[in-house]
Amino acid sequence: MGDSRAEQALRGLEGVAYWAAVAPLLARLPSAVGYRAACRRGDWLFRRQTGKRAELVSNLLMLGNGLGPAEAQQVARDWFRFSSCEAVDFARLRQGARPLRRLVEVRGREHLEAALAAGKGAILCGAHFGSYHASFSLLHAGGFPVTSIGRWQYKYTAGLSNAERRFWAHVYRRVRRLRQRPNIEPWPGRFQVAAQAAAVLRANEVLTIAIDVPPLDGDRARAVRIPFLGRQARLLPGVATLAQLTGAPVLMCFQHRSADYRHQVLEISAPVPMDGDVATAFGRCTAQVSAAIERSPAHWAYWPSTPDLQTLELRGPDPAPSPAGPLTRADEVAAQHGTADHVPTPG
Amino acid sequence: METVINDYVSRELVQDPRLLPLADDTSLLETGILDSLNLLRLVVFLEERFGIAVGDADLLPDNFASVNAICGYVRAREPGKQEAARG
Repeated sequence: MGDSRAEQALRGLEGVAYWAAVAPLLARLPSAVGYRAACRRGDWLFRRQTGKRAELVSNLLMLGNGLGPAEAQQVARDWFRFSSCEAVDFARLRQGARPLRRLVEVRGREHLEAALAAGKGAILCGAHFGSYHASFSLLHAGGFPVTSIGRWQYKYTAGLSNAERRFWAHVYRRVRRLRQRPNIEPWPGRFQVAAQAAAVLRANEVLTIAIDVPPLDGDRARAVRIPFLGRQARLLPGVATLAQLTGAPVLMCFQHRSADYRHQVLEISAPVPMDGDVATAFGRCTAQVSAAIERSPAHWAYWPSTPDLQTLELRGPDPAPSPAGPLTRADEVAAQHGTADHVPTPG
Repeated sequence: METVINDYVSRELVQDPRLLPLADDTSLLETGILDSLNLLRLVVFLEERFGIAVGDADLLPDNFASVNAICGYVRAREPGKQEAARG
């Protein structure tokens, strides 16, 4: 099911229709109704996308902190639901994000305010976790000048047509509008990235960084091996170096969706100590990301993407036998490049 | 100035000892000495040591291609030079 080329094309069309038309409509309904409908769509994807679900469950069983098969299925179902709910979050970013702000409680705002009062900017450190795009836009709409380090993946992902790129650019426009500056996009050879990030901090603004990004080939030499999800992952410690060079405080930031799927909590921590060597300081950040994923695994974007987990060195090269059926070529492509229901996200 | 900058780059930024001693015209980009974070380290050093401000628009490969290029850039940005240029 869901393996043929025609089925794959239909799946893509369904995703486009959902993000372009259905989610904006759901975002105008009472939130309880809109998010419940998004969950129904998530359940439908959970049933239909057997390959992606299998990959997700397989990775959860391997890295999910002792999850059993039934729990892994439950987390996988929530993963699909969250993915569908995120589209509604995006659509609620209209009107200065007021429709979404009503549903998100920000905890720890005082930490961010205190950090900016010290005049060295602030680094919000997180992961591809929960509705992180919307949460950063929400903070910007709430008066904090937010700029993100990250790649708009739709601009670079191989295999996307120009029409698809334009579509995703359209989807992300609400997020992009609620940023102080254009994203700082790190690619090998763009050697000014860290200095641009420092300029944001010197202007006493907020910089967001996701630290769970699989390193690109050109960056692997800079990556460090660090405890993560019970294993040793290979991650880039740039956030710690940046903090040490600029003196900017690092605050951890995670957005959790509550059991009713419509309310969320955006939690900002007190500053993480950045003393010691870079790996030690970075380890304090990754420990918090790892703990957040273990507490609430359905929020983490990378579960169905085995190539990314392999690049992180969390998984070996040989895929484990799948409990939900064999992995198809279509699902491999989907896992690698993203589909309309799994938005290619900035790294 | 060349000596000060060459010493700093050699001591703090060069990871591969085979690149030492570093010639003033060695490409810092092609040899991989100057990646994104090392550029930031260098900018912080130049600002503190020479009292210049490095703006976003100055973060061009041409300005940081080699020790010689950096010296040329810093000389052009030194406070006295900038005032004279404006003056």
